[in-house]
Amino acid sequence: MNAPPPVLEVRALTKSFGDHVVLDGIDLVVARGETVCILGPSGSGKSTLLRCLNWLETPDSGTVVLSRERLGVLPGGNHRMSDAALARMRTRIGFVFQHFALWPHLSAIENVMIAPLHVQRRPRAEVRAEAEALLAKVGLADRADYFPAKLSGGQKQRVGIARALAMKPELLLFDEPTSALDPELVGEVLVVMRELARDGMTMVVVTHEMGFAREAANRVVLIDHGRVVETGTPEAFFDNPQTERARQFLMRYAGASTRANGAAAAG
Amino acid sequence: MGPGDWLSLAQGALVTVALSLAAIAIGLPLGLALALVRWRGVPYASPAIATLVSLLRAAPGVTLGLLIFFALPTVGISIEAIPAAIVTLTLITAAFDCEIWRGALVDFPRDQLEAAQSVGMTAGTRLRLIVLPQILRSALPALVNEMTLLVKASPAVAVLGVVDITRAAVRIGANTYEPLPPFSAALVIYSLVVFLFVLAQRLVERRRRAAEVA
Amino acid sequence: MTTGLAILWEHRDLLIDGFLTTLWLAALSALASLALGSLLAIALMARRPMVARASGALVDAMRCVPFLLFAYIIYYGLPSLGLRFSNWSSGLFALIVYNTAYMAELLRGAWRGLPVEMIEAGHAFGFHGIRLVRRIILPPVILAAVPMLGNQVIQIIKDSAFLTIIAVEELTHAATVIQQTYFLPFASFVSALLLYWVLCVGVEQLVRRVGAHAEARR
Repeated sequence: MNAPPPVLEVRALTKSFGDHVVLDGIDLVVARGETVCILGPSGSGKSTLLRCLNWLETPDSGTVVLSRERLGVLPGGNHRMSDAALARMRTRIGFVFQHFALWPHLSAIENVMIAPLHVQRRPRAEVRAEAEALLAKVGLADRADYFPAKLSGGQKQRVGIARALAMKPELLLFDEPTSALDPELVGEVLVVMRELARDGMTMVVVTHEMGFAREAANRVVLIDHGRVVETGTPEAFFDNPQTERARQFLMRYAGASTRANGAAAAG
Repeated sequence: MGPGDWLSLAQGALVTVALSLAAIAIGLPLGLALALVRWRGVPYASPAIATLVSLLRAAPGVTLGLLIFFALPTVGISIEAIPAAIVTLTLITAAFDCEIWRGALVDFPRDQLEAAQSVGMTAGTRLRLIVLPQILRSALPALVNEMTLLVKASPAVAVLGVVDITRAAVRIGANTYEPLPPFSAALVIYSLVVFLFVLAQRLVERRRRAAEVA
Repeated sequence: MTTGLAILWEHRDLLIDGFLTTLWLAALSALASLALGSLLAIALMARRPMVARASGALVDAMRCVPFLLFAYIIYYGLPSLGLRFSNWSSGLFALIVYNTAYMAELLRGAWRGLPVEMIEAGHAFGFHGIRLVRRIILPPVILAAVPMLGNQVIQIIKDSAFLTIIAVEELTHAATVIQQTYFLPFASFVSALLLYWVLCVGVEQLVRRVGAHAEARR
């Protein structure tokens, strides 16, 4: 019996901005239903890596393969994919932005509905029903007709998640989804993300939230200076880091986070 | 000045306003098309449009009108006064509109475009559903301001022989040997027309500010 | 077309004279209207409501007036006031009066944009009245207004072309004469338009230079 193909296969990805090397040969494989958290210090290339996965940034070399189909480049390997073909592949990848990137002239439910309607051309009644269900799932059923200007950061991000889910993607990418939120709003977004992970969604999450990585991730990947430094299960990574750089990272970043979590639990 | 004179002044005003409106109606979408070409950075076309727009924005209405009216026939295109007037006014207002549209496009938030890309919208769909609805709103005050400026500059067409309000006043003055009354009347009538556009502009700006606060 | 250019070059003096007239008219009216506009701006900002409102209404009215019609009024109206101006002087007079209103409005906008603390500091150090305006308020106002001033000067250059209709011998008039005398509509008007373009681009470059200089001094 053949195992299902990995949803995402990344090989030898490199990217430079001018002289600055941001990605220096990244390999990554994500299986169906896996939740992978990408951690790393600022400037390590995490966001650039994520944005290469749906070709918002074009890598200099390497391959990104989505369910055995190569992204961004035609099967021969030499020609850039047409805009239409790239757009088609992108409908299979959901992306949640750090600063939400909602469309301000559309209400919450219109934000969720517009792409299934006009890109996937699904019938309006079906799209509407699903959008309402998705907004209910993220806890915003009563805010469906609100415009982004009237929503809090946490609410906006949850709309962003519903919008990504509306396309029924094979893969969900999260670019530091809670970094732009006030601390008290972070929780409501993490709750939604934990539920998605539990329901078997394939997710790649770039985040600073160590608590979320510990609880919801199947695998943690540490990136520094554009390379994968260490990868493993959350227990292995957080409790027993193998490399020196991982240890340094955990001391600097995870210490603060666990201290904050401890304070929150006590208070 | 008798009632007949007032009538010809009013008719002249109508002519100039009609020409202005025609130029505005064509210039707005034309300016948008030019701005989109520049925004996309189409090779050859973009820098050519940039140069043309720069030229047109420096061109006085009288001079450009004279060029179009007198020079086109020499290359085989015969043109009459009224079409020449419309072409002149349209070219000038399209050039200014192009810069206004372009300003709105350049300022457009990049993350909204990336979000549209990430759900698989192609360029045309992004333009139609995400970009245009918003820049129409943001560019509106500047566009209405440009309409006001066009109406103010439109008496230039008098030099082409179009019987607009300026020519009507000239005729009445020539007949009565008293140029001041008709010109004063023309000035007042036309200033009122401009004032209507200014009021429209203030209304648009007030509604825009109210929307921003809310 | 090339023979046209050759003939044009032969009679370039006409065009150059017209160009210089335009340049001269624009420069003089810009400076004069800026100076007078500064005074009018003070009236616009006056504390006495009657003065502020009356001058405000005047400026608003002027900004609705099309320049060509205004130039005609000045041209036909000055003689009845007993003033016998040449066409050139009438044109200059019209440009100055017309643009004084625009300059005043422009400066008022720049004035309003000044941080209040700057003026309060002036008061605290004993500046008041004319001295306050001259030393504390006007310099930063004019500096902030430079880009808008640039646009206004470009507008003045373009408006000067209207004066051809009252027979002022500026650039468009020169081009028309050449076109009528030597039957060169293309060459004459294209040259004129290019010269206007050079003038306007020159003004834009000047504005950019002044802006960079102001930024450096900050």
